[in-house]
Amino acid sequence: MQENYLYTFAKRIAGFVGVLLVLSLMIFILARVVPGDPARIALGPSASQEQVDAMRVEMGLDQPLVHQYVAYVSSALKGDLGRSLISGRPVTTEIAALLPATLELVLATVILMAVIAIPLGVITARYRNSWIDNTGRFFSIVGVTMPSFLFAILLQLFAAYFLTDWPIIGRIDHTLSAPTGPTGLLLVDSLLHGRFDVFADAFQRLLFPALALAMSGIGQITRITRSAMIENQRRDHVLTLQSFGVPDRVIVFRYLLKLSSIAPLTIMGLEFASLIGNAFVVELVFSWGGFASYGLNAILQKDLNAVMGVVLLSGLFFIVANIVIDIILLVLDPRLRLKEAR
Amino acid sequence: MANLLDIVGLNVAFQTYGRRHHVLKDVALSIPQGGRVALIGETGSGKSVTSKAILGTLPRNADVESGEILFRGENVLDMPRARRDALKGTAFSVIMQDPLSSFNPVFRIGRHLDDVMYYADRRLGRTGSATERRERIFEVLRKVQLDNPRRIMDAYPSQLSGGMRQRVLIALSLLHQPDLLIADEPGTALDVTTQDEIMKLINQLVSDNGLSLLMITHNLGVVRQMADDVYVMRHGEIVERGALADIFSSPRQAYTRQLIDAIPSLYGAKVEDQKPAEADPIIEMRGVTKMFEQKPWIGQATRHVAVRDVSLSVRRGEVFGLAGESGSGKTTVARMIMGLIAATEGSVTVDGKAVEDERGSDAFRRKIQIVYQNPGTSLNPKRTVGQTLSVPLAFAGMRGKALEERIVDLLRQVNLPANYVGKYPHELSGGQKQRVAIARALAADPEIIVLDEPTSALDVSVQKNVIALLTRLREELGLTYLFISHDLSLMRNFCSHIAIMLRGEIVESGAPRQVFDDPQHPYTRALIAAVPVISEEEEKHKPRVSSEERRRYLVDTAA
Amino acid sequence: MSDNATNELAALTPRYMAWYRFTRNPTAIIGALMVISVVLLAVLAPLIVPYPEHAGAAVNFRARHAAPDLAYWLGTDKVGRDILTRVIYGFRVSLLLVVGVLAVAVPLGAALGLAAGYFGGWTERIITGLTNVMLAIPPLVMALAVGNVLEPNLVNAMIAITLLWWTWHARLVYRVSKSIAAEDFVEAARLAGASHWHVLTREILPNCISVISVKTTLDAAFVILFGATLSFLGLGVKPPTPDLGSMVADGRQFLPEMWWGVLAPGFAIFYATLGFNLLGDGLRDMFDVEV
Repeated sequence: MQENYLYTFAKRIAGFVGVLLVLSLMIFILARVVPGDPARIALGPSASQEQVDAMRVEMGLDQPLVHQYVAYVSSALKGDLGRSLISGRPVTTEIAALLPATLELVLATVILMAVIAIPLGVITARYRNSWIDNTGRFFSIVGVTMPSFLFAILLQLFAAYFLTDWPIIGRIDHTLSAPTGPTGLLLVDSLLHGRFDVFADAFQRLLFPALALAMSGIGQITRITRSAMIENQRRDHVLTLQSFGVPDRVIVFRYLLKLSSIAPLTIMGLEFASLIGNAFVVELVFSWGGFASYGLNAILQKDLNAVMGVVLLSGLFFIVANIVIDIILLVLDPRLRLKEAR
Repeated sequence: MANLLDIVGLNVAFQTYGRRHHVLKDVALSIPQGGRVALIGETGSGKSVTSKAILGTLPRNADVESGEILFRGENVLDMPRARRDALKGTAFSVIMQDPLSSFNPVFRIGRHLDDVMYYADRRLGRTGSATERRERIFEVLRKVQLDNPRRIMDAYPSQLSGGMRQRVLIALSLLHQPDLLIADEPGTALDVTTQDEIMKLINQLVSDNGLSLLMITHNLGVVRQMADDVYVMRHGEIVERGALADIFSSPRQAYTRQLIDAIPSLYGAKVEDQKPAEADPIIEMRGVTKMFEQKPWIGQATRHVAVRDVSLSVRRGEVFGLAGESGSGKTTVARMIMGLIAATEGSVTVDGKAVEDERGSDAFRRKIQIVYQNPGTSLNPKRTVGQTLSVPLAFAGMRGKALEERIVDLLRQVNLPANYVGKYPHELSGGQKQRVAIARALAADPEIIVLDEPTSALDVSVQKNVIALLTRLREELGLTYLFISHDLSLMRNFCSHIAIMLRGEIVESGAPRQVFDDPQHPYTRALIAAVPVISEEEEKHKPRVSSEERRRYLVDTAA
Repeated sequence: MSDNATNELAALTPRYMAWYRFTRNPTAIIGALMVISVVLLAVLAPLIVPYPEHAGAAVNFRARHAAPDLAYWLGTDKVGRDILTRVIYGFRVSLLLVVGVLAVAVPLGAALGLAAGYFGGWTERIITGLTNVMLAIPPLVMALAVGNVLEPNLVNAMIAITLLWWTWHARLVYRVSKSIAAEDFVEAARLAGASHWHVLTREILPNCISVISVKTTLDAAFVILFGATLSFLGLGVKPPTPDLGSMVADGRQFLPEMWWGVLAPGFAIFYATLGFNLLGDGLRDMFDVEV
């Protein structure tokens, strides 16, 4: 049994590696076949044709495409994503510096999503068709349908008019000297260094962006949790427990909750793809200065190497999140563990 | 003696889609202290609603409009919620119907048992440690003949066999000695031999512990073993009640009589013998083995032998019965004959030609047709009867007027009126759907029809009509049937030849009279012995099975 | 469900039940009305807007940044154009995007999903493999990359969205098609001599229609949302054509004082997405399908 489930897991990982390969191939082709010469972009319009040609040789652009791709993948595996066409610095270094900011935002978002959405889904299902349900459903549909940039702007406007002291731009007050390391996550690092002033400021600044980013996921997951709960409520096993007088709250919060969290968790994995996209928007509105802002700039400036790095890393983000969710699901659902064994 | 439970003038209605459906009409029923009462009826008669009304687990859209349910003289419908809940599991206990869906799949069996016990204990004002409860649960599990309670407790529902789960469900109802045990079609989804064991177990537990029993079932054979009093229910009404012997020997109502008559006999004067066919074989299988292999991209391939070294020959015009329990390989045999899957070893020929060469050809496809078990999935819900029937006809090159006439003709052959052409499946009853499925098979003008448990999803009275139709069609059109079933009493009367399969092999084969009167293989004997019958006379004719044989051939559900 | 209820329900036709569910669901009807209003506004825009010339490159500096009043119900933008006019015209771009994307993505996704579910084997492996890869790509990032590396305009945005969108339909239809393909009636049709084409189009597809239509309605909302986000980030229609996402981006420079410049187009987007979403939800309940 043990081996079988490791085997299932290994298969998933192999699938993910395939995803990364295809993704890299797609973005590579895109970056190479488009009009616009990377060497020209790097040197700017004033450079002479000789300079551009020399640059092409230096960047390996004179090699056959297959050769270029293999070279790109093999250096990417070693952590080298090439140099930014604009700044000339290694893409890996630039991204590494900005990654913690985005990581902190995304982690806070995921925590908000799980903490708000699943209980809300359970409660709306429990009090189905009551005012609690209607309110909950209203908020979840607003979450799903409201553009995250609009929600982000509304939060800012709210702060501007009603919470005038609330900081709404950036990660940290520039007058505060933020402690560095070891995680790069301000909330964690400030606590490790005992800097509660930094923690408070960072927390305030994190709250609104995280909320804006979490909004659509909260809506989606609340809805899915609710419908999973309602679906499972009709099952015979609920009738079994009811027939023996097991109290409703135990049925709902123990038996149904666990069974009904499988579907939203699966969806949460898929949601990660759009979560990363929305991070671009939210980081822009809140001037967050993370990996997504970097990506947005790279795209707007046609910094092809940086764009490739950003897309690959976004894919990796998605994959890591899904591996984590797979592990949680394996723990939660014995059927996944037992399927191969039978 | 006072009755343990009296139901008086109970009326229950459901609100569905803005309409009121009166599902229980003035139901009256009494269960004496220590008595065994059976409530029988066909699908939709309201018997399960009755049990839910007693237990207090009616769905939200149900209304108890009038009536009383008196438990020891006190109306449970008037009780406050808490008192009524306190009766659950202690005064009334239910044995749930479907063994797989009755447990939450992501919790261990032990969790279910412990929670039920814990909350019932609490209502009774009893407190105890988890270890103490565990000991008590172990004891009950042993009582239902589950010999390794520790393993059962630690298992997830999907890790247990159907029979084992059914036993756990029985254990669940016995955690606290209830006064009344309500059994809602227990074991219906299980194989006949397992079902037989479950019934024996319930019977024994009832008599050992002096319980009262309300047995809800559609199976009259089960009733004979399990009840003293019988209530017959139809369309929400009790149409007849009486002592078991009276109901079976001299039913007063036409409906009851019809119900009893519809049941095929296993032995005795009412048994029909089908004439053995003497024509040439039309289907022949020689030493056929089918192996299913699952080969993952990496690692070891897993193999499963579904059919092992099977040889058989079906004569033209014969009704060849293939009997066996689930997983015995009978459907795999049929699919190989139809050319849907290839044999791993051996040869399959139809009409003297190897299926391997013929499969996929138009002529071969039309030669063998099939009628499926489940009327719900055998017709496309989005297509009318006419559209369904026109597919094989169009394939045969029929167009326009000729096609329309042929469709009407086919409907007439299966006793359906011509205006059914425009109906969708949801407008038809289960029996009507099966008739359309039969008409579709006939439309291809086949020589052989595979009948894959065509009546097992139908009520007995409907089954009788469908079987009569099939018999008539065979005579009129000279068809050959390959009849797959687990219903031995039906096969005894319908087949002209029968083969018994066990774990992929044919263990016995012959004319039904010979096989039933003098079964050679111990598994055949065990199988026949497990069939529930409705008369003492049939019971006496059943073969005897030693407990050693039982152990050897029956899937051990108590492991 | 009890044996009784199922039997009684057989007497109700699916059409009656669907209609009953739809009419008992006020939000579905509100959603339908919202969708109709958006479509009407977009179609009739030239006839109903107060300042038709403001849909283009007009300037009206005297009234720049005017707060909402009787002349300009939703205020004016940085060059004094009426925001109401531009919002109504903005719906045209949004709906154009919806039609353009879904007209390609839905049939393509449905066809691939249908084939994958029915044929199985390598067809299934390749199509589901491809779908899984596509789903792992952050759509906004990819669309931005594609659109911007090419040339930031509406057509490229549409292409970029379509490239990614079909996967959701493929995934959904695949799931339904696979379960339908396993039903006995499909095998029976094959045995009766039906061709693969007949089975796919006549036996399986009709059973997928309700799922596809629900998903398409919900998708309309997400395409609007997605397109607005792209144009908010600078990948939209070229000015001066009114486009809701870029109007929000423009107005953002003048926050928090000129709040109407952001809120009007922002809530217009929200209104349209909410309408399609409510309608889609209602249809889902009505057909009782899982999307």
